[in-house]
Amino acid sequence: MFRRILIANRGEIALRILRACRTLGVEAVVAYSEADRDSLPAQLADEAICIGPADARRSYLSAPAVISAALVTGCDAVHPGYGFLSEDETFAEVVRAHDLTFIGPPPDVLDRFASKEGTRRLLGGFGLPTIPGSDGMLRDDEHALAEAERIGYPVLIKPSAGGGGKGMRMVRTSRELESAIKICRSEAKSAFGDDSLYLEKWLDDNRHVEVQVAVDRYGAGVHLGERDCSVQRRHQKILEESPTPALSAEARATLAETAVRAVVSAGYENIGTLEFLVDGDGNAFFIEINCRIQVEHPVTEMLTGIDLVALQIGIAAGEPLGLRQSDVKLTGHAIEFRINAEDPAHDFRPGAGVIERYHAPGGPWVRMDSHLYPGYEVPPYYDSLLGKLIVWGPNRETAIARGRAALEELLIDGVITNIDIHRALLENDTFLEGRMTTNLLDRVGGAAFLAAAGARG
Amino acid sequence: MPDAGPQRQRATGGASQDAAARSAAAARQADHESIDRLTEELLPALIAKLGTTHLGELEVREGDWHIRLRRPYGTAPGEGRRSTDKPSRSQPGHEGHGHGRAAPEGYRGGRGAGAGAGPGGPSGTTAGTGAASASTNGTGGGEERTLDKSRVIATSPAVGIFQPGARAASGTRVRAGDSLGAVNVLGVPQDVLAPVDGIVGATLVESGVAVEYGQELIRIELAGSGSAAGSGPAAEAR
Repeated sequence: MFRRILIANRGEIALRILRACRTLGVEAVVAYSEADRDSLPAQLADEAICIGPADARRSYLSAPAVISAALVTGCDAVHPGYGFLSEDETFAEVVRAHDLTFIGPPPDVLDRFASKEGTRRLLGGFGLPTIPGSDGMLRDDEHALAEAERIGYPVLIKPSAGGGGKGMRMVRTSRELESAIKICRSEAKSAFGDDSLYLEKWLDDNRHVEVQVAVDRYGAGVHLGERDCSVQRRHQKILEESPTPALSAEARATLAETAVRAVVSAGYENIGTLEFLVDGDGNAFFIEINCRIQVEHPVTEMLTGIDLVALQIGIAAGEPLGLRQSDVKLTGHAIEFRINAEDPAHDFRPGAGVIERYHAPGGPWVRMDSHLYPGYEVPPYYDSLLGKLIVWGPNRETAIARGRAALEELLIDGVITNIDIHRALLENDTFLEGRMTTNLLDRVGGAAFLAAAGARG
Repeated sequence: MPDAGPQRQRATGGASQDAAARSAAAARQADHESIDRLTEELLPALIAKLGTTHLGELEVREGDWHIRLRRPYGTAPGEGRRSTDKPSRSQPGHEGHGHGRAAPEGYRGGRGAGAGAGPGGPSGTTAGTGAASASTNGTGGGEERTLDKSRVIATSPAVGIFQPGARAASGTRVRAGDSLGAVNVLGVPQDVLAPVDGIVGATLVESGVAVEYGQELIRIELAGSGSAAGSGPAAEAR
């Protein structure tokens, strides 16, 4: 096991990793930007070190700054969290070149899974059903038009790099395609420094289901069930739950088993998430793999009782998984609500400001992962995630009831939040019946969704 | 202000008291941060700017704040000698509260029992900045904070190992932009630059020591200030 880990991230995930380190008896150093000097993880860490200015390109995204910080603070491993440098194979390589361990897949594994389009073909070869898509990256408009014609509209334009729904666009006609590609290229270029794009078949009314896997260095792998992340706004998840209401127990087990078999065969290592689109008939199509801890990992922790961050750290340290598939028990139902500083009534516009009052809900089977405290200033420079509220129940109905109670109790004053959209979701028939698709919110917009819930209430 | 040994201190009263302190501190936090930014970033930049122009006076407004910088008396035509211009909300008493944001500091050491990086108010490390008043003019007036402002600190451009250069020797006359040394980041040196024209004062960090981004490294006595005696430095500022 490691002696000292540098946490190269911020916000709730930095705190989550810090807690895992404490549990494992490993010292934790938090690397922070000037904007996060007063953040909770920086305050609670065994040591904290300023690595750069607020601009993430010169702090959280700067490989030299992060690695230099790890070296001068005597760390032997770097945990990148999610986003930022978490799936950057070059970063992982440089980390290793400095005799540090990157907590995640080894650089060669990251490299193998770096291209989304390449991964789709790789895992497709190991038996995963994949979404129809373009043959490689789009070379030019002509290639794009031909491929879109072959796949059949509507199609989704996706950047090969990055994630979080950035730089994606769905188009229904060839005319839309040409202009959308220009926009996507420039967005991808500025967001990820890589403007390669590919096409995927767009499924109207699809559901988003993902499978959590864990594979050790010695080729032993298990799945830890699936999560349903269909509730999204602009391709970004805001509510996740497990098990998915979209699939039967048998279909869920089959999907998860197929997924873990494919990644083990393909030589994956460490924890990872395979994302699928599920159509109205329950057919699942693999779209991409996330080689990192995910925002919504607590949902799985609630069902399995397994600390995924600790597991991730252990695998990176070379420890055997110590789990067989039969050891993984998926119990009950969990829901995670992402609490963002954004205004659902105004197109989910992000907010920032000083937290005047903060109260996290409590009670049995209620978990709040958040870096907030009264007086904390939410900086405007980073993503809008304020925290995650996770509830568990023996079944979906109980979990929803606990979710309602917990959302009622949650108090955040000082910044605009999306708490109301979660309250509205828990009153929405489509959600309550488990029939939600990824366009549930975007089809009507946040404001109309809130208004509809208000009219009913 | 850097003499105070800018170590954060853990409030001893436990979490609830911390929370109360934070809550109270929050109200003043914005003010302090503005002040810090004014003094740590804007002021040195303005001083350097003024030095490169023939202007007698510069003024910048931002929100409720404004900061006015005048060339030292006698160095520009038509220049007054009084330094009554202050940030409009300056509160000389502020330093007493000790709620200022911590100045850039050495990376925080491992905490022992109850000590270390606490969420409570850092210990008054920004003392005096509340009334910085941008008094770079030579009249001084003997005010402590004016003296404070007669110094500017060269800070670390990166996280790494500090190596002072030849021009970091105390008493060396430097110009804004001169390299005073380097911070070694994975073998690549990054220059520590003099933020202003002046005379090198104390070096605050020893050679070979790990520093974090923004950490205070070398003090520069401003040209024209009381501590950099003589008319030479004032002329230097031109």
